[in-house]
Amino acid sequence: MAMALRLIKRNLGFNLLPLSSSASLLHSHATSFGFKEVQEEEKSQMVSNVFSSVASNYDLMNDLMSVGLHRLWKDRLVSKLSPFPGMKHLDVAGGTGDIAFRILETVNSIRSRALQDPCYDPLQEETEIYVCDINPNMLNVGRKRAIERGLGKDKSLIWVEGNAEALTFQDNSMDGYTIAFGIRNVTHIEKVLDEAHRVLKRGGRFLCLELSHVEVPVFKEWYDYYSFSIIPALGELVAGDRESYQYLVESIRRFPNQEKFASMIADAGFRKVEYENLVGGVVAIHSGLKL
Amino acid sequence: MYRTIARRLLSGSTLNGSDYTLRGFRGTVTAGSRFTTSTIPQPLSDQNPKQHVEGVNPQPNSSASSSNQSTAEEALRRERQRPRTEYQEEQASVLRASLRHVLSLGWGEEAMIAGARDVGVSPSIVGSFPRKDAALVEFFMDECLQKFIDRIDSEEELQNLVPSKRISKLVRIRLEMQAPYISKWPQALSIQAHPSNAPTSFKQRAMLVDEIWHATGDEGADIDWYVKRTVLGGIYSTTEIYMLTDSSADFRDTWAFLDNRVKDAFDLKKTIQEAKYLAEAVGAGMGSSLQGFVRRVFRE
Repeated sequence: MAMALRLIKRNLGFNLLPLSSSASLLHSHATSFGFKEVQEEEKSQMVSNVFSSVASNYDLMNDLMSVGLHRLWKDRLVSKLSPFPGMKHLDVAGGTGDIAFRILETVNSIRSRALQDPCYDPLQEETEIYVCDINPNMLNVGRKRAIERGLGKDKSLIWVEGNAEALTFQDNSMDGYTIAFGIRNVTHIEKVLDEAHRVLKRGGRFLCLELSHVEVPVFKEWYDYYSFSIIPALGELVAGDRESYQYLVESIRRFPNQEKFASMIADAGFRKVEYENLVGGVVAIHSGLKL
Repeated sequence: MYRTIARRLLSGSTLNGSDYTLRGFRGTVTAGSRFTTSTIPQPLSDQNPKQHVEGVNPQPNSSASSSNQSTAEEALRRERQRPRTEYQEEQASVLRASLRHVLSLGWGEEAMIAGARDVGVSPSIVGSFPRKDAALVEFFMDECLQKFIDRIDSEEELQNLVPSKRISKLVRIRLEMQAPYISKWPQALSIQAHPSNAPTSFKQRAMLVDEIWHATGDEGADIDWYVKRTVLGGIYSTTEIYMLTDSSADFRDTWAFLDNRVKDAFDLKKTIQEAKYLAEAVGAGMGSSLQGFVRRVFRE
């Protein structure tokens, strides 16, 4: 029912929003949107607005805010995943295709090496990388970039519009699941984790790259100053949108810390839950294994 | 005694460091290797299993939900309660299946992917193996050691052999275990020699050599302990390398080579023993003449 509602909402856009939220207000819970308390029904729409408004400048702003480091973080995520030819992978909230392109490149380089090997079995299954994003604007950015990279015709990339809390994929159908800088923006983290656990095969891995909590003393002070003073100003200057970037830094602070998030992953049924801090915890890569 | 130490060492190799925050932070300063915390993950689920075992664990956010949702959660909870195969077992079964593919695919990731497909687990699991490049070789070494220990315990004729024969027999038993993989063994050696894997492979070899001395009936703990192990380690490794290029039937040349090396070592031991006696005799003679000299000096 919730999903149907969301579908309708997505199709009709803004107009239905006041109606639907007032109808379900009775059973609604408060959730956080940055530091603000909002109704659960509103959060996804508000997040959607944020990403619609930043989609065009998304890459530029990522580069500016992370001084280009986000590329290394994404490389690290993919190298931890260690993709293989014939893999069925689901990249959630990956509208711009950053992770998907990296996985595809890794698989292709393994494949071209394997082709020189006489024992290589050409009957292997085709690699399929599903890019799932709730926001069509972000998916369009990704599609455009795929064409720029000459991957427009690649059958391995499949663009899917969908909600991470209610995936449309079969149970036990995926080898890998990644979510990079996405889980912070969902309304129910637990639902997303349960869905990830559902779609993964036995032995499949869940990997999450997310901005996290810095605990290193002096660096923490500097990082707080940087996030609350510089990033919103930067957003205003470059993307002309202070609000969205204010939301960004606030939502990072509201996100559970490394240990807490790891235990949430374990509660969803994942085994061998680990995390790795990058740059002192500015981002963390959490991983879990379905058995 | 050595076995317990060895086991402790083995389990110690899976321990993890804890200063991850600091490491991660250092990443920013040294713009070297990708700004990461090197390879020290924080194992969580395996360290506090009570988190999962207690299936009754109330879920914090499930109070207000429709009935069909609660049945779904019920099912999920039941699934969590179900006794699950431990991660280590799963890893071992994948690696065991991978050994069948070593001859065609080598000791690397490809064999492990093929092995995972064989046991019906998603090949993704390979990415979760700690130090996955060496995982297969190290697993094989551990398996061989275990088989070796079992074999020693069951083999009775060993006790009737003289020490030198016993040692060469033991080394031969162990080396024969890797004979099926001989065409791919150079790759295994190069993986083991890689700096990041060297500590583990050194430990595994030390344990093996220890086990051989143990089986030979050597219980000494004097200074010879190191000498004995160094010498045997040398014999084992040179024979292992000789074996790589041996094309004789059933590695006949290798075993002859091995017997000679062991004989050399025992001869050397004898020579050292003789040299020691000689030195003692000379020392004693010198000492007494020096003593006599001193006594004479003081008497006058």
